Amino acid sequence: MANLTHLNVREAADAVASGEISAQELTQECLDWIYAREDEVGAFEYLDPDYVLDQARRLDKGPRLGPLHGVPIGIKDTYDTADMPTAYGSPIYEGNRPAADASAVALCRAAGAVIVGKTVTTEFAYWKPGKTRNPRNPDHTPGGSSSGSAAAVADNMLPLAFGSQTAASVIRPAAFCGVYGYKVTRGGFDPRGLNPLSPTLDSPGFFTRALGDIPLVRSVLVGDDLDPDARPDDSPPRVGLVRTVHWDEADPATREVVEGAANRLADAGAEVSEPEMPDGFQYLSETQNTIMAFEIARGFAWEYINHRDKLSETFCEIIETGSSTLYDDYVAAVALANRCRAGFAAVYEDVDVLIAPSTVGEAPAGIDATGNPLFSRMWTLMHLPSVHLPTGSGPNGLPVGIQVMGRLHADNQMIVDSQWMWDRLV
Amino acid sequence: MAELNELGAKQVAELVASKKASAAEVVTACIARIEERESDVGAFQYFDGDYALDQARALDNGPAKGLLHGVPLGIKDIIDTRDMPTGNGSRVYPDRQPISDASCVALSREAGAVILGKTVTTEFAYYFPGKTKNPHNLKHTTGGSSMGSAAGTADHMFPIGFGSQTAASVTRPAAYCGTIGYKATTGDFDLQGVCGLAASYDTLGFLCRELEDISLMRAALIGDTAKAARAETAPLRVGFVRTPLWSQADDATRRTLESAAAKLASAGAEVSEPELSAGFDELADAHKLVMSFDAARARAYEYTCHPDKLSPQFTDLMEVGRAVSYEDYRAAQTHSVVCRRQLADIMTGFDVLLAPSAPGEAPEGLSATGDPMFSRMWTLLYVPSVTLPVAKGDTGLPIGVQIIGKPHEDGALISDAQWVYDRLK
Repeated sequence: MANLTHLNVREAADAVASGEISAQELTQECLDWIYAREDEVGAFEYLDPDYVLDQARRLDKGPRLGPLHGVPIGIKDTYDTADMPTAYGSPIYEGNRPAADASAVALCRAAGAVIVGKTVTTEFAYWKPGKTRNPRNPDHTPGGSSSGSAAAVADNMLPLAFGSQTAASVIRPAAFCGVYGYKVTRGGFDPRGLNPLSPTLDSPGFFTRALGDIPLVRSVLVGDDLDPDARPDDSPPRVGLVRTVHWDEADPATREVVEGAANRLADAGAEVSEPEMPDGFQYLSETQNTIMAFEIARGFAWEYINHRDKLSETFCEIIETGSSTLYDDYVAAVALANRCRAGFAAVYEDVDVLIAPSTVGEAPAGIDATGNPLFSRMWTLMHLPSVHLPTGSGPNGLPVGIQVMGRLHADNQMIVDSQWMWDRLV
Repeated sequence: MAELNELGAKQVAELVASKKASAAEVVTACIARIEERESDVGAFQYFDGDYALDQARALDNGPAKGLLHGVPLGIKDIIDTRDMPTGNGSRVYPDRQPISDASCVALSREAGAVILGKTVTTEFAYYFPGKTKNPHNLKHTTGGSSMGSAAGTADHMFPIGFGSQTAASVTRPAAYCGTIGYKATTGDFDLQGVCGLAASYDTLGFLCRELEDISLMRAALIGDTAKAARAETAPLRVGFVRTPLWSQADDATRRTLESAAAKLASAGAEVSEPELSAGFDELADAHKLVMSFDAARARAYEYTCHPDKLSPQFTDLMEVGRAVSYEDYRAAQTHSVVCRRQLADIMTGFDVLLAPSAPGEAPEGLSATGDPMFSRMWTLLYVPSVTLPVAKGDTGLPIGVQIIGKPHEDGALISDAQWVYDRLK
């Protein structure tokens, strides 16, 4: 069989289930490729190849556990693992051994996944980058905070890796590395064991190289196998183009990609509109930052009080911003967000999905910063499910694409609609 | 003057700040009470009196730290503590020592609190009880899950204890133990380091004996200093909500609620009974469904790796949750959003709602913690709630009433609850 490392999740699971390959063979192939590339890409925070192969061998000997049987996956180092250290990207937690698996890890393991290792995260999933480089061009950032997971999937090290998003931590690295990045409806996946950054915003997600893998993994996590609201197969979705108040800050190439996508979808028969956004939508980026700062300041009280010297300057800054945020201002921000969320119910009466820029542009040069989260802040705050579609490349030859937002809790329908769009865009 | 262990948190903080008592004296009084009563009540999962006293002495010898300087706190044992084991009430985690404090503990410590010890919780804050007995009658349950914090507060072992609520885990033990129970607006208090049961609902709260102590904790933890939202002269607008479960409350509870409504009206409040749409009838079941679905995911590790160490009650919850379809889960969540908006509309006509806290007095027996039915709906709706101990039932055990406010207007709720309490107690 040709290049096992290029298989997507479903192909890999099918190949193992049919006996075409063993979990061990597949895992060995992935490990070989990881070792060929890891020096340059730096996707992993923790990887023990013997232990990984042990897992695969045990799976080969036992009964089929579930839909991920034998599939090697990566876990962002903000998710607890009972059998691997979990440091949350912070020296404070160097060598930390959680007592239990995060729920996403436990559910994937119970479905037969091989947990290959812990992927690099920024410090506490905020800004300070880890060592990972963009596999498309090592002089550029992979984006953050789910840096290692995005890079590992983009570089064919793994078919699936978990991330999480509080501002733009799935969509942005997916865009910069050129893979699908999916963020669940906030609350859609249990967050137990995912180290919180800003609890009312934190949303798990993952990276894949096939859209069809997203519902497969959802079925493992929540048993979401079908969607009663699904439109008849292959009928075009109603698409809302949202330029957002930040449109002028997007690179010309990004604007072209988004507008070009809207035009092509219209040509292919989709009803494309530019829906009016709810009142206050233009303020949501600042609102997201107010809420995030307030929650970070409370959530990281222990670390700030006891280990300030081990926190980065940028993390101390957000804590200090949050500490000086008044409770009343926090509540006003929450109220504005709630009003806008209610307003989106009306927006989605006329559209099935929204499309918008994923990022300002291609991955910036340098690995000292992870790029601007601007274009995802408001969507994360709205709790909407989102997926990045890597539709093309920009002037520097690095990936660009579009961000798709579905209705709350209609994540699978969003994927179906995204597949329709993908088939017409690429 | 009352004994030091009988004072509220704010009273303690004021005494210590004005040097009329030292933190060590307050803690010594609490320790004496604990030593006298703990073998009967069993409020603590972990308690080291010398260590608590060391903390108090260090505070006495240092500068004033903050709003809680010298206040002893009981910490429910699902809340991580850097210096005390945290077992989550589970046989899976008998000697677990967290490497950091939960954020609420870290903030309390920074404000000068003494972490007195870890209070008993049910297994993972669900049903399977710990050892705690109702201090009013040792043959009766305290209610769960925040059982040690409720009993310890009611029995004057400490002025205030942390609890948490996913169904009724603050409201019910407060009602059964005859103390004040406060469940915050969901999302107001950070849950970092708190073992979750069902992420859609988990909310922090306190058990205490003085309403002003709730405001003190809110100021210390989130900087909320809001007080009355209502002009002192305006009559309090009270919505009396019997709830769809009224027929399941016992006679004493129904009498208590009706008499409370009447007393408030004769004291000048505008009392009426708002009509809840039929959709609210489904909320207790929706809560049960979502809670089981969430818990089945959250405890996937324990269920798959340590099934032999889970109680039958917990295993049952896991199995119920695993059998819930995602479509039913989504429908329940979507319906909940609609009801939250409807309640917000209803609440524009009221300052607070008045409702039962529990079906009746604490049931006899220690093998179960009573029925959470009267809080499920309110927890699902994310509203802040205070339980006030205002009456005794037929067997002489406490009965509470629940006062419910508007999301994030917890400060106003506390002010209004004080007005209510002054007229009912």
